[in-house]
Amino acid sequence: MSKVINFLKDEWNSYSRNIQISLYVLFALVALFVIFGIQILFWGLGYTDMNNRFAMGLWIIGDLGFVALGGGAFFTGFLLYIFRVDKLQSLINSTVLIGFMCYLFTFILLVFDIGQPLRAWFGYAYPNWGPHTMPQSMLTEVVWCLTFYFIVLCIELFPIILSNKYLDRYPAIHYFAHYLHKLMWIFAAIGTFLSFFHQGSLGGGMWGVLYAKPYWFRHHYFYLAIVAAIAGGPCLMMLVPKIASWVAKKELVPKDAYMTLAKVAGVTFIAYFLFRIYDIYSLWTHFAPLFDRSFIDMMGGYYGWWVITLELLASLTAIVILNVKKFRENDQYFMAGLISGVFAIVMLKVDVLLHGFSIPNFSWEGFFTYNPTFQEWSIFLGSIACMILIYMWFTRYIPLFPEKHAEAH
Amino acid sequence: MAKMTRRWGMVIDLDKCTGCGACNIACSQENNLPIFKDDSDVPKRVTFLDLVEVTNDKDPKAQYPDVKVAYLPKMCQQCSGNDPNHPQPPCVSVCPVVATDVGEDGVVSQIWSRCIGCRYCQVACPYEARVFHWWKPRYEGTFKKSLNPDVSVASRGTMVKCTFCSHIWKRERDRAIANGVTDINAVTYTPACASACPTNAIIFGDLNDPSSPVYEAAVQKNPRAVRLVHSIDELRTKDPSEYEKRLKIKDYPNPKVYYLTSQQWLRDKISGFKNS
Repeated sequence: MSKVINFLKDEWNSYSRNIQISLYVLFALVALFVIFGIQILFWGLGYTDMNNRFAMGLWIIGDLGFVALGGGAFFTGFLLYIFRVDKLQSLINSTVLIGFMCYLFTFILLVFDIGQPLRAWFGYAYPNWGPHTMPQSMLTEVVWCLTFYFIVLCIELFPIILSNKYLDRYPAIHYFAHYLHKLMWIFAAIGTFLSFFHQGSLGGGMWGVLYAKPYWFRHHYFYLAIVAAIAGGPCLMMLVPKIASWVAKKELVPKDAYMTLAKVAGVTFIAYFLFRIYDIYSLWTHFAPLFDRSFIDMMGGYYGWWVITLELLASLTAIVILNVKKFRENDQYFMAGLISGVFAIVMLKVDVLLHGFSIPNFSWEGFFTYNPTFQEWSIFLGSIACMILIYMWFTRYIPLFPEKHAEAH
Repeated sequence: MAKMTRRWGMVIDLDKCTGCGACNIACSQENNLPIFKDDSDVPKRVTFLDLVEVTNDKDPKAQYPDVKVAYLPKMCQQCSGNDPNHPQPPCVSVCPVVATDVGEDGVVSQIWSRCIGCRYCQVACPYEARVFHWWKPRYEGTFKKSLNPDVSVASRGTMVKCTFCSHIWKRERDRAIANGVTDINAVTYTPACASACPTNAIIFGDLNDPSSPVYEAAVQKNPRAVRLVHSIDELRTKDPSEYEKRLKIKDYPNPKVYYLTSQQWLRDKISGFKNS
């Protein structure tokens, strides 16, 4: 016991003062996550600011954001294993871990968000498949597809965990991890196939099929969400190791890898931006009039214009920085470009959820507001704190960055 | 057993409605809806039938003393989608666990004990007709003894909604069978809200039955008839080609609840945003 305590003490003392302060904050957030998680699970969603008018809130914005940004894992894996862009090899372990955590915490937030978490298995036992082969409910598709892709991410993460230096000493584990890694292209292909579906269904299809809701109903929304994930996901996959490098005060990933992925993200961001402009145009001229609603009127309220303006500005910033070599290769601009890319996708989700729910259904109603309660913020920020801690733990004990690991050897 | 041919619907005469709230109370009592300590928290309130105050006070043209107020009993509008023969209410197809369905009589049902509480159906509903149990339902004092045994009490974290009191229809059906009547279409009933209305403002019946006061073909011709947020109805007579074109592009809720009023401002407010 004393050995363990001494080990923990040594570990703690090995961190710099700044890291120790950061860890205090993260542990505090995790504690709040646990306390208010218990409150929500045992006493219900009455403690949130969601209500019969504003049925979904911060946690679903988080889910949509996590899945879209975690989608960078499928896209990076696709580029590496299917298109053989070998330069991305040094990013892939970190990417798989981020993807895994994004999906894991999507499930965790969903457990808090549904009123009957103990009945969550009904989604598998009584799926709404409808009369045809495709699921009738977009949420059924989301539940199944997320589950399958999460299993794929677990399999992809497994050899990374097994490459820990203590486990790698055993030949059986070493060879198992090695050959599992060799088969990874199969899982990357399956992951890409699955990811295309649930990126579309959770990010866009779920809202696009709501034929009675004027701000959401759009035939192409499914595809917009896929393009958004392909554009924004890689930004997070680069941003996180960039921040890790900044904290560790050494470059963990070669610049080549960043630049390769940044160029792809830059081009997809152009496609996303054009698609989004078309999306707004079609909503304005075609879909809103189908409901006898005016787009301008719908954009009023508390979350209308400023959200969409910030989203488009962030997209433009990402496009300029990621596509212009001079900016892309400047470290500070590059960070700004990545942050803008992630921010643009988050704002897209804020627009869908926050503004979508705030729009009145009846002509005698005004716009609605939503202010997440302390419980909602605690669970949401606690989830992010858990993700940061897991990433820190992996960076320390698992060879997350193969190049750096090779140097150490 | 004969095939169900009934298609239940409702006509609510707003010019007769006094806003007394008897329908709301009768509905809550019939369907075992809980009463919370603070029911002034309206957005979290559990009620199937909401008595909504509609006013034109925000209209710049309607200055005092021309400000008008009306009360609108709003419950699930039992939508059909474009094709009533193959009903596709906006809330049914979205449910991930088949906790909600639409019957042959057009009534949209909800199984409390199947619901996982994801609230996707609530998001899909354009009429804010579905309510969620944000808190654990409580029945104070002796209220528990008066619960209706025909309606199951919902748990916390589940979605509930108006079913046109379909349990009353089932009760009447069982009574008819006990009396030797086996024709399912011979069974009629009246929901609690319609029974309780002191001014007969709420009329319930079969939209397919020409002898019924709610016969849909006749109601649609009534110049006083208007449906909630359904401005496409205007096009049916004014611009039939545009009407047909729109129906091909997308589904419309096509609710089975009609409101009647002679007041133009109220008709404009109810029908949607086009004229309001």
